[in-house]
Amino acid sequence: MIKLLWQELRFRRNGIIGWGIALCFFPVVYVGLYPSFADQMASFQSILDLPIYQAMGISMNSFESYMASTVTNLVPVILCIYAVMNGTGTLAGEEDDGLLELIVTLPIHRWQIVAVKAVALGLALLGILAIVAGGAALTLQTILSQIETLVTPMDVFWGLLTAWPLLMAVGMISLFLGTFSPNRRIAAMLATVVVVVSYLGSNLSGMITSLENMRVFFLFHYYKATAEALEAGQSTGDMLVLLMIALASFGLALLFFQRRNITVGAWPWQRAVISR
Amino acid sequence: MSDYAIETKGLSVYYGRHRGILDLDLQIKKGEIFGFLGPNGAGKTTTERVLMDIIRPTTGTAHIFGQDCQKEGVAIREHVGYLPGELSLYKNMKASQFFEMYYSLQKNNTDPGYWKELAARLELDTHRKIREFSRGNKQKVGIVAAFMNKPDLLILDEPTSGLDPLVQQTVMELVREANQSGATVFFSSHILPEVQAVCDRVGIIREGQLVATERVEDLTTQHFKRIRFTFANTPPTDAFAQDGVIETSREAGSITLEISGRLDEVMAQTASFGITDIETIPVSLEEIFLAYYGKGNGEKHD
Repeated sequence: MIKLLWQELRFRRNGIIGWGIALCFFPVVYVGLYPSFADQMASFQSILDLPIYQAMGISMNSFESYMASTVTNLVPVILCIYAVMNGTGTLAGEEDDGLLELIVTLPIHRWQIVAVKAVALGLALLGILAIVAGGAALTLQTILSQIETLVTPMDVFWGLLTAWPLLMAVGMISLFLGTFSPNRRIAAMLATVVVVVSYLGSNLSGMITSLENMRVFFLFHYYKATAEALEAGQSTGDMLVLLMIALASFGLALLFFQRRNITVGAWPWQRAVISR
Repeated sequence: MSDYAIETKGLSVYYGRHRGILDLDLQIKKGEIFGFLGPNGAGKTTTERVLMDIIRPTTGTAHIFGQDCQKEGVAIREHVGYLPGELSLYKNMKASQFFEMYYSLQKNNTDPGYWKELAARLELDTHRKIREFSRGNKQKVGIVAAFMNKPDLLILDEPTSGLDPLVQQTVMELVREANQSGATVFFSSHILPEVQAVCDRVGIIREGQLVATERVEDLTTQHFKRIRFTFANTPPTDAFAQDGVIETSREAGSITLEISGRLDEVMAQTASFGITDIETIPVSLEEIFLAYYGKGNGEKHD
């Protein structure tokens, strides 16, 4: 299993470095340039009070809010794209490409294949987050003398790293959908719907009273991209909920992959209809 | 311990409402080279995928070396080399990296350098990236991967597909050598002369059902006889119009008959026209195969 995990990480190495460096531009540009337009931030706020921005969870009435909106809010949202692409690509994508046919014919249990790919995905997400978190912390450290804030580089580092449970939940849901759906395209489509509905739903449910009761169903409800969360950290309970969702999705992925007819590309209910 | 390398009983696979294979009973003895023949969509690949536990049967059982392909798949696959028909490889890896990775993921590893020997015999440049390879070279990668662990059973889906004739010959040599070392070989192919050249037995699958399993010699000698008779008196055109006899040609007193019924009855019938010469014409496996599919001379003999 270790050998297979090592291979999986090797396959993802370039992706981890590429995504990590590319996403570093967010904190480097948004945080690094903050001192140059800090005085003008107050005038932006009237625009950002528009419902569309509120729905996206964006606020800039302080440096901490600005930091939360541009870094701890957007980076995980963008990384959800990686989680969906990789989560659906790792089993469903390899099945579509025909690569899985060689792997499943090795003397390895199917559960081991799913477990290794899930661990590799988790480590890849953690690796990317660590690169971005490191970049964000370093950038803040660079401008710290030019701004007034209680947020420390370490707060930013942990603030980003604690997005990992959310990304794991998205990654594992994507992995499960890949084992459930006939092909990667459908799995990716379903996973994207889950992410978009969760993101907008979580923000809208905070704004619309009638949706308040539904907020528990949205993944992003359990990840707070706010100034308060940046300073105080994410709630342990919320992180546990996300990790439980990830674990449950992983369990479903195991179950459905164990029963899956590889190379056939069918829904689970299509696998054995006898019509003699 | 089972005498059979492969044994299936009542094996059926349905894809939704579509038939993959139907009630397949197959027994392949240890040490055999077994050719699996059938046109596209007949169920060859489905059978191989069930044996490798890639897909699960709707009904029936499949065993390799007496072990259930579903329940004991991992233990079975330690002893099996598999070449898929639709081979896909990691394009960004060099062939050598792929072989090292693939070898490291196997169990019962005995000869870490054997893949190099195989690659050299197939004249495969293992330092190049797989994405740079032609279809034939990719097929060579698949062949090396299947043989590299010196498995007890080789399941090969059209192993010579996409290869030039010289390499095809090398692959058939590898098959023979593996067999001489004790390996059982189960392979499907569309190239019937190569099946005829190396196989002990063949199975013919049609629309998901096994329609014949015979030794190659038996199939080519006993399935039907093709005999050219030269007569003193030319028989009328309908002289042999009966079940089990097909007149395939008639020219200047010579008539060629394909006989799958009672030979003695036909001989007695032909004798009445004064036979001056008899010649038995060999029947190739290809003709038998086509006859099973009703494409040889317009009729099938079974």
